[in-house]
Amino acid sequence: MELLIKNGAVFDPKNGIAGDKTDISIKDGKIVDKVSTKASVIDAGGRLVMPGGVDAHSHIAGAKVNVGRIMRPEDTRSGIKPRTKLTRPCTGYTVPNVYAMGYRYAQMGYTTVFEAAQAIMKARHTHEELEEIPIIDKGALTLFGSNWPTMDFVREKDMDKLAAYVAWGLLASRGFGVKVVNPGGGEMWGYGKNVSGLDDVVPNFDVTPRDIIISLMKVNEMLGLPHSLHLHCNNLGKPGNYRTTLATLELAKQVKPSKDRQVMHVTHIAFNAMGGTNWMDFESKADEIANFLNNSENITTDMGQVIFGSATSMTADGPWQYTLSKLVHGKWSNGDVELEDASGVVPVTYYRQAISHAAMWASGLELALLTKDPYKVLLTTDHPNGGPFVNYSEVIALLMSSKKRQEEIKTLPPVFNERTKLPGINRELDFNEIAIMTRAGSSKVLGLLETKGHLGAGADGDVAIYDIKPDQIDPSVEHVKIKSAFSSAAYTIKGGEVVVKDGQITATPMGRTFWVDASVPGEHTEVMMKDIRNKFKNYYSIGLANYMVQDAYLTHPKVVKAGVVPVEVS
Amino acid sequence: MQTVTIKPKKEIKISVEAENISPDKFAGKSEKDIQSLEAYLGNHKTTLGELFSIKVEGRGAAADTKIVMEGNFSRVKRIGEGMSAGLIMIKGNVDMHLGTKMSGGKITLSGNADSWAGREMKGGELIIEGSAGYYLGAGYRGETCGMRGGKITVMGSALDFLGEHMCGGEIIVKGNAGILAGISNNGGKIVIEGNTSRPGSEMAKGTIIINGAVAEMMPVFKLEGTEAVDGVTYKKYTGDVIVGGKGVLYVK
Ligand SMILES: [Zn+2]
Repeated sequence: MELLIKNGAVFDPKNGIAGDKTDISIKDGKIVDKVSTKASVIDAGGRLVMPGGVDAHSHIAGAKVNVGRIMRPEDTRSGIKPRTKLTRPCTGYTVPNVYAMGYRYAQMGYTTVFEAAQAIMKARHTHEELEEIPIIDKGALTLFGSNWPTMDFVREKDMDKLAAYVAWGLLASRGFGVKVVNPGGGEMWGYGKNVSGLDDVVPNFDVTPRDIIISLMKVNEMLGLPHSLHLHCNNLGKPGNYRTTLATLELAKQVKPSKDRQVMHVTHIAFNAMGGTNWMDFESKADEIANFLNNSENITTDMGQVIFGSATSMTADGPWQYTLSKLVHGKWSNGDVELEDASGVVPVTYYRQAISHAAMWASGLELALLTKDPYKVLLTTDHPNGGPFVNYSEVIALLMSSKKRQEEIKTLPPVFNERTKLPGINRELDFNEIAIMTRAGSSKVLGLLETKGHLGAGADGDVAIYDIKPDQIDPSVEHVKIKSAFSSAAYTIKGGEVVVKDGQITATPMGRTFWVDASVPGEHTEVMMKDIRNKFKNYYSIGLANYMVQDAYLTHPKVVKAGVVPVEVS
Repeated sequence: MQTVTIKPKKEIKISVEAENISPDKFAGKSEKDIQSLEAYLGNHKTTLGELFSIKVEGRGAAADTKIVMEGNFSRVKRIGEGMSAGLIMIKGNVDMHLGTKMSGGKITLSGNADSWAGREMKGGELIIEGSAGYYLGAGYRGETCGMRGGKITVMGSALDFLGEHMCGGEIIVKGNAGILAGISNNGGKIVIEGNTSRPGSEMAKGTIIINGAVAEMMPVFKLEGTEAVDGVTYKKYTGDVIVGGKGVLYVK
């Protein structure tokens, strides 16, 4: 099957193409240099062409997403779309059903999305949902930050064992990378407590969040995993937490990356860039984080942009979810994953008139606008924590138009101007920078830039065409058009197949699930498994044989190989 | 003035979704137009005209539209949904969701209403001469606000969870009420003339007056002494203390 996309204004940052009229050829699902005259042709007619969107942090599948659905029948009242001959029925806004996840991402021109947190023990549920999400390629990051084996091996300073555990955990969960959420906090929450910074000692394990982060970073690079450590910082959601965030970012200097990417990805900064001492004197300190990023290498972040309106907060950060539920006087679900982590789900509404919400809204934008290199800040809403992913077009419009930002600021409390730097920021991102934050950058962060996020030969045939002509539009002024174009792609092409035309689903192929098979020396695995078997014998409520996700759960797997390599530690 | 008379053509055994029976939907429409309005019989799409004989006299705006319904409507749901004006007079029984989300106008029902009558009601008046089922004037599952305004009067009794998540408006039950009236309410007024049990749990705001016997009180209310309301002396309780509630419960 061949496809030729002619006359597109192509933005392909990896290959240095910024708006040039370039033809894109696809054969058998991959971008190629040339196709034959038999290829079907799409005439882009000067419209914006980008690689298919890639989201490195979203919550689209698994236990907590489903708890969100169960807790929020009222969310299901919106977004209802009956089935058609081609598509299954859709429901929901912050916690859509599985089908809507795939369709809505594809309709925005996205073709690859990673679920940002699965406990190993709950991984089977994650994959059951991923198997039902149509069109997009996907994968899931696996939680390691509060797991008992992790903390044991960190205390023993046995990096070989820890590496073997991470490799085995990725296999057990068919996971793609190492996610760490409020390290140590998940364990402390079992006692109704939390860690308050990098150097609190986790009882019974005698390790600190600092030890956990550094050790997992080292092991991540020892294994040469495609993605780096993916970190949700300690103290998330607490006024004044930007100091913890900065101290955490410093840790990245202690480990050298094994590949051409960061060693640490710190996620949803809007929740980690808070100044002040309480919710009254709360202010955004995203400028300090951006300043740090501008003066350091090997660290990336994502925005975690807040969207005013309904959201559903869901995270393995159990203690934070309890605090949040008390703050909003709302519904609260609490979860404990045996030896692995905590979790919680809390529906929230972000109000323009609440200065803390307005300042959080500002901090995601500040981070993106004050950080010079767009490869360091990905566009996310930490769906559905900051807001549903269907609002990415709103975020793009805000980033591209200072005029739109000023219009929004007018609707916020006057004190907003004292609590954030946003009103004084004039920078407007261009299409190339947006393509980095939503395509090339996220692919690089995930370690998938070879085949994702670009349009050079060998890349996956994933392309988005948007109904705007870059040389005929002033995004600063015409931000309404920008938003509407990015919310509904003119074409989305997945693996060379047109899956969306004029915002409507035209085909529903099944995407692949990426997971990482990391090899370690057999003797390391043997030693590690002795400990693991003990844990199952003494503590886990299920048997080891029932723990592993079987191949049957991944009908379209894409295995990425990795393995132990020497790591330089300074 | 527009008068629309509706009667079932034959016995309806499967539930009918009849949200189109409303003065707002009928106003200014001809008999034919009203007959062709959509309705669902189970999962089968049909029209009001297929299910009911419909007669129209005169023309008028919603406020001048009177709908008279005669017969057995005990499988007909969502009558008067979202109506903002006009009058619906029903002689018979109805299924669930009578007058849900109504914001104005008036519904009178001579018989019984099944559950969820007046759900998320914002205004207007709903009079049930028979009895009401569960969740009278309550909220949709998961929402934080049920009834926000308007008035519901039930001459008979009501089952459990009436006024659940109520945020405003008034509910009067002349007979008895089931358990947990006003559960999780955050405003509004509930008057129960008959007997009930365990009223007002998780109550944050609002007032509940009970003139009959209370079989059992939830242990989350604080007795504040006695107080007279309209010349009647009650024991006054506040709570629910667990949620820091400022609700008031008057019990004889
Ligand atoms: Zn997240």
